[in-house]
Formats: sequence, C-alpha cells, structure tokens
Amino acid sequence: MEDLMPYANSILNPYLEEWREGGGQVVGYCCVATPREILDAAGILPYRIRALGNPDKELADAYLARFNCSFCRACLQLGLDGTYDFLDGLVETNGCDHLRGMFENWQYVKKMDFFHYLKVPHIITEESLEFFAEELELYREAISKYFEKDISDDSLREAMNRNNRVRAKMKELFSMRERERPALTGAETMSVLMLESSVPPSVFEDFLDDLIEERDSKEITGYRSRLLMAGSATDEMVLMKEIEDVGGLIVTDALCYGTRAFWDLPELEGDPIHAMADAYLKHLLCPRMFDDYQARLDFTMDAARRAKVDGAVLVYNKFCDLHGVENVRLRMDMEKEGIPVLVLEKEYGAGADIGRIRTRVQAFLERIGG
Amino acid sequence: MDRVYSLLSLMDHLPDTISDEEVEGLLGFLPADISRTLEAVLNPRIREVSLVFFKTVANWLEEAVIAKEEGGKVILVPFNTPPEVLHVFEKATPITSEVLSTFGVAALDGQGEPYWDYAMGLGMPDSLCSANSIELGSILSRDDFLPDAIVQTAPGGCDVNSKIHEFVAAYLGIPQFFLEKPTENTGRGRELYSKYFNHLMEDLQGFIGEELDEDKVRETMERSNRCTELYYELWDLHKHIPSPVPNLFALYTYGVRFTVWGKEEAIEVLELMVKTVKDIKKRGDYAAPEERARALWIYTGYYFDFLGFFNWMEENGISYLGDGLDLYFPSPVDTSSMETMFEGMAEAAWNMPMTRQVGGESMMMNWLDDILYAVNDLGATCAIYCGHHACKQTWSVFSGVRNEIQKRTGVPTLCLQGDSWIRRMTPTSVLQEEISSFVNNVVTRKKRTAARRRRKVEAESE
Repeated sequence: MEDLMPYANSILNPYLEEWREGGGQVVGYCCVATPREILDAAGILPYRIRALGNPDKELADAYLARFNCSFCRACLQLGLDGTYDFLDGLVETNGCDHLRGMFENWQYVKKMDFFHYLKVPHIITEESLEFFAEELELYREAISKYFEKDISDDSLREAMNRNNRVRAKMKELFSMRERERPALTGAETMSVLMLESSVPPSVFEDFLDDLIEERDSKEITGYRSRLLMAGSATDEMVLMKEIEDVGGLIVTDALCYGTRAFWDLPELEGDPIHAMADAYLKHLLCPRMFDDYQARLDFTMDAARRAKVDGAVLVYNKFCDLHGVENVRLRMDMEKEGIPVLVLEKEYGAGADIGRIRTRVQAFLERIGG
Repeated sequence: MDRVYSLLSLMDHLPDTISDEEVEGLLGFLPADISRTLEAVLNPRIREVSLVFFKTVANWLEEAVIAKEEGGKVILVPFNTPPEVLHVFEKATPITSEVLSTFGVAALDGQGEPYWDYAMGLGMPDSLCSANSIELGSILSRDDFLPDAIVQTAPGGCDVNSKIHEFVAAYLGIPQFFLEKPTENTGRGRELYSKYFNHLMEDLQGFIGEELDEDKVRETMERSNRCTELYYELWDLHKHIPSPVPNLFALYTYGVRFTVWGKEEAIEVLELMVKTVKDIKKRGDYAAPEERARALWIYTGYYFDFLGFFNWMEENGISYLGDGLDLYFPSPVDTSSMETMFEGMAEAAWNMPMTRQVGGESMMMNWLDDILYAVNDLGATCAIYCGHHACKQTWSVFSGVRNEIQKRTGVPTLCLQGDSWIRRMTPTSVLQEEISSFVNNVVTRKKRTAARRRRKVEAESE
C-alpha cells in the first residue's frame, strides 16, 4: 500500500484523478452535518471542502467580506479560482452564517448545475428531527434525479455499514494517539481525516488498515506537554505541526475536521433516513446547535480525560462568533475542572501570524510546566 | 437598563410642550452625550413626537420594574421577537436587548462603552454585535436589572445574536425558550415554524404561570392591527417627494415595533407621527431647501450620534427612507379565534426584520427582494449599507446584493464600515464625509445626468 500521507496536503491526488477518469463523480460538501452515506450510496465520492491553509483570498474577498471567517474565504477562493472545478456538484448547509455566505457566493459566481441546500435545524426536538429527515429525503431525491442514480434503502444501508466500519477504524487510529505513549502526532491524525474524504472509500480503508498495523508499535517521544485542541473549523495541519514543533503534542481533539466528524456517531440501524437524521443531528456537537452545550462540554472533557491532557488549546478563526463565544464558556468550565486553557484567536492560513502563535503556545507550555 | 430607566423617567417630568429657550437651558447642564441626543430629538419639527416616544419607552421600562417588584416575569428578547407575543400575558413584560443598548448609547454618559468593555474583559471576541453586547455586558456585570428568562428567536437568523444570548442565559442560570427560524421558505418551513411557535407559547404559559385569556389576546391583536395600518400609512408618506418624514422617525417606528407594539401607547406614538408628517407635508416645512438624495439604508443605521447622523442628513437634504429594521411588512391578524391569533403572531415573528431577510432560504435573495421592493416603492435614489462589522450574514452576501441593486434598479449603493452602536470604530465625522462624497459625486451627478438625458430625448422627439 502506497503511503497516502503526502496527498493529505493537496486538493487533488492521483486516486481522485483516477476515480474521475474512470467516470466517477465527486460532490463537495463542507459541514459535518452532511451525511456522506447518501452520496456514497449513489456511488459518488463525497469530497469534504478544505483549504489546506491556503493564504490567498483575493478573489473571495470580492464577494465575502473581511469581516467573514478566513477559512470560508480561503475555501471560496479555491472555488472561484478553478481549483474545485473538478466537482460535479455542491451541497450547502446552514452550518453558520459565514458558511452560508460562502456557498451562496460560490453558486452566485460559478452556477453549478448541481447545487443542493440541506437545511439543518439548530435545535433538537421531535419536530426538528422529522424536518431533518424530510430534508435528507429531499437530498436523496435531488442526487438521485440529477445524477440518475437509484439510491435504495438497501444501498443506503450498505453505505451506512461501510461508513460505520471506517469510523470504527478511525476511532481506533485516533485512540492510538491518546495512548500514554502516543503512536501518532496530531498533525498526522488530521492528515488521515483529510484523506478520508478525498480518496475513494476502498483505497482509504486499505490505507487505514495498513496505517493502524504499521503505527501500532510506534511511540512519539520528545514532547513537553500533552494537549487537546478544540474550536473552529480548521484543516490547518501546518498549525498543528507548529504547535507540536514547540513541544505541545496534540494527543486528542474536539474539532470538526477531527474527532467531531466521526467519534460519537452511533450505529445506524433501522429506517436509514430517520437513523441518519437522528445520528447526525443529535451528535452534531457544534456550537451552532442550541440547548446542547452540555453534550459538547462532555465530549470535550471526555477526550481530555481519556488522553490525560496537560492543557487545552481552544482555537477560533477571527470573526467566528460561534466558537468565539463558546470558547469563553468552555474555558471557564474546563478551568473549573483543573485543565489549563489557552484561547487562540487566529487568522486562517496566515503564515505571517505563526510567530505570534508559536510565542503564545510556548508561553502556555511554560505556564503549565511543560 | 436601570440607568437608562432612571434617565428616561426624567422625561416624564418634562411638560408636553417645551419652548426653544427651555430646551437650550436644559441642554446646557446635561452631560455631553445625553445633551447631544436631546438636542437631536428635541428639534422643533419632531419635539412633540420625541417627548411622547421617550415617555413611552420610559413607561415600558417602568412596567418591567413594576412587574419584577410584583412577582411578574421579565423576559429578555432580541429585537426580532414581536413584543406582542409577551404583551398578551398579564404577568409578563418583554425587555429588548438591542433597544436597551440603543437607549444606553443615546442616554448614558460614556454611551455603552463601559459595558462593551466588560464583555470583552470576559474574553468575548471583539467581533460580537455591540447591539447585544452592550446590554448583555451590563447584565453580566450584575450592574443591572436581571431578567427571569430569555426568549431566543435569533437561531436561523443570526449566529452572533443567538450565541451571546445563550451565554448570558447560562451565566445567569436562567431558562431560554427557543423559536428557531427554519431557513426554508416553502410551506413546509412555515408549518414547522408554527409548530415551534405553538410550543413556545405553551412553554411560556407554563413558565409565567398564566393561561392566556382569549379576550386579552384579542385586544392585543386588535391594537397590533391598528399599528399595522399606521405603519403602512407612514410607509406611504415616505413616497412623497420631498419626503416629509423626519429621519428620526425611522428609528421611532421600529422603536415602537420592538417594544410596545400591540399596546395603546404604540398607537398613540404612531398616530402622532402620522399627524406630524401630514402637518409637515401640508406646511412644506422641510429641514433642507432641496431633497438631494432619497436614501434607503439597507440594514441598520448608526445610533451613537442622532444629531450627527439622522439630523445632519436631514439638514443636508438626505432623506432617510428607512432602513432594514423597518422592513417587516406586518399583516393584519385574524382575531376570530385563538388559533388564528396564534397563527397571526407566528406570521409576525416570521416576518420580523433579519428573520425575514437573512433568516430566509437565501440570505442574498431574500434580503435583496425586500430592498428592491423598498427602493422601487419609495423611489429611493440611493442605497447605503452601514457595514456594521458584526453582521456577518449581511456582510457575507453584501457584494452580490449591491451588484443586483445596481443591475436591477440602477440605484448606486454606498458601503460604509463601522459599528452601529460604538463610536470608537468609525467616528461621525468620517461617516459624514463618506456620505457627503457619495451624495455629491454619485447620487446628485447621476440625477443631473439622467435629467440631461431626459431633456435630450425630449428635444430629439420634438
């Protein structure tokens, strides 16, 4: 099995190209509230939009404003400059106000033939779950109609089983990072997650099997402190690497480009649409959900305890108010539990900012005795 | 709220009519910030309305104080909650975050800055909305009147607003009741919203400990319907050229909408506004010799300097035809049964500003629809976006909205940047300069060019 890791850091990779050359279709999505299973069941590759630390935003800034999250601007940039032209369609969600803006502008400019808006409720009630199930049904119908693919309940179940199997393996791999002697770094685990949604499922699963076996006996040494990272949408492996380079090993996380994407999703059984509605909405663990803070705190604290962290870094992209406010509350609650916290506001993909971030992390490591 | 209430209640001691000399004397001994506000609102053309409006707000705040003393429930709401939803209760009073922030900025020495600073001191991001953060900062500092619960209608319409209210509820340990706006414009979304609304009303009845009385609900809805009529009367009066509606009336109209709509006082203020505007129209009593621009402010205005903003524009021939907060287009409520009245209240909530536009299925298109309607119906010659930095939803689609306004109506749009409630970010002088440049170099020139073109076409056709 070829080492896929280097491809984590690129939008395209040979496997994806091969998939497309063989007539395979690819649909982009961004938010973890989007059930991948529906695309998977249609034989379409669900590709999670990422910007990989892209610092350029000049095209995007003609549409989104500088008061919008730089991650969304960086993704939009890649949408507008043609990097994402290989996508056969896009699925929007109302993840947050910035993300909605990103998708609306993307569609305003590029006018994709397939563009579907999946509306995700902000609260969990009987009615909202039913509404979300209807949304998933409409999403299934839209894909089925546009791509002329039959998405039966059976094929959905099959996709659910496949995705559950992959999630279980991801969990195993990510747990290896939480060990007393971690087998992977934080940057490496994030790379694995990037690959999950950019290579065909069978390729990824084989890679995952090999990686688990290969890394099982490995031990990372030479770090000063064990850290948890939580906060805004970020796919910046470079940021994690910078933090790890100064001695803060990220042994666990509560990131949406991290464990929140797969950790707690239950087995999907029964009527597939309702099962997905339940699983995805009830386990969204995103501050865009209201009346659900305790679940998010529990998730973060469980990770911190499991991984026996020395401290936590709560990151958020400038102008991300959902995480900006959430981090204040998380900091207060985590500190009450004896976990030192560094809240790090940052610009996405801002290489020039890295010196400041390194200094703040170093100071934090000093503070927690690392 | 406590400080705003204390200051505004002083208005109650002022007579209903007050002379220019008395105003001048009054302004002389007040602190600078409140003096400037009073100078704006006590302008002779709007003095009578201002006194009634400010007394109304003071009484509204007093009701909350009394409710608290008498064991009623004081419910904090964001501005996109129709207050009549709580006025139908005997034992509940709504207080509105953004209104309190606005009056705090208008009435307090030092404006809302100390409370904003307190919120920042807790570690809040400085990109939050000052409209919420000023009032909520004062609550968090425990230097204020504490609400018993929060009704939260912003989820779906504004992340910032929803999140800061959630934080305050957790910090104070008070319950929150949600009314989410599904971002789905079809009947399916609307039906879900009605279900959410009915749950909200059930939960509120349980929390307040009061079963709604149909007669009381009906009376409130009948008064709301009268407010609706007056809203449209004022809307139509804006269509006259030059506009006879004083600029500050835009603020007063939604000030009423967000506080006392559905109460007798609301009707009193709105009726007086209509009468005043008709008088101005009849007398031709305009603040400027010429109406140079008819501006639709497409989202919010600026609220830290009434004199330097609303009055200054008016004196410079720039009519403020209203802003995004005036775009809620109320419908009459069918008062035949509790069901129809609940449905009417749900409809009102669905159409509140922000909820209706950026809480719609497409932030860009739903917002744009309302702007285009207002621009065309009111005969706006320009549009202005205040660029309140916290409005991430409007900022995220503003570029497309501006392009479409230009394409579909030919009306130019000015994009400003600033904080609508905090003067530190962009001072009045800079805003005035930008507005002046825009009006002088774009709006009036465009008007002249259009007139020249019209004359040329007419000459050629002859």
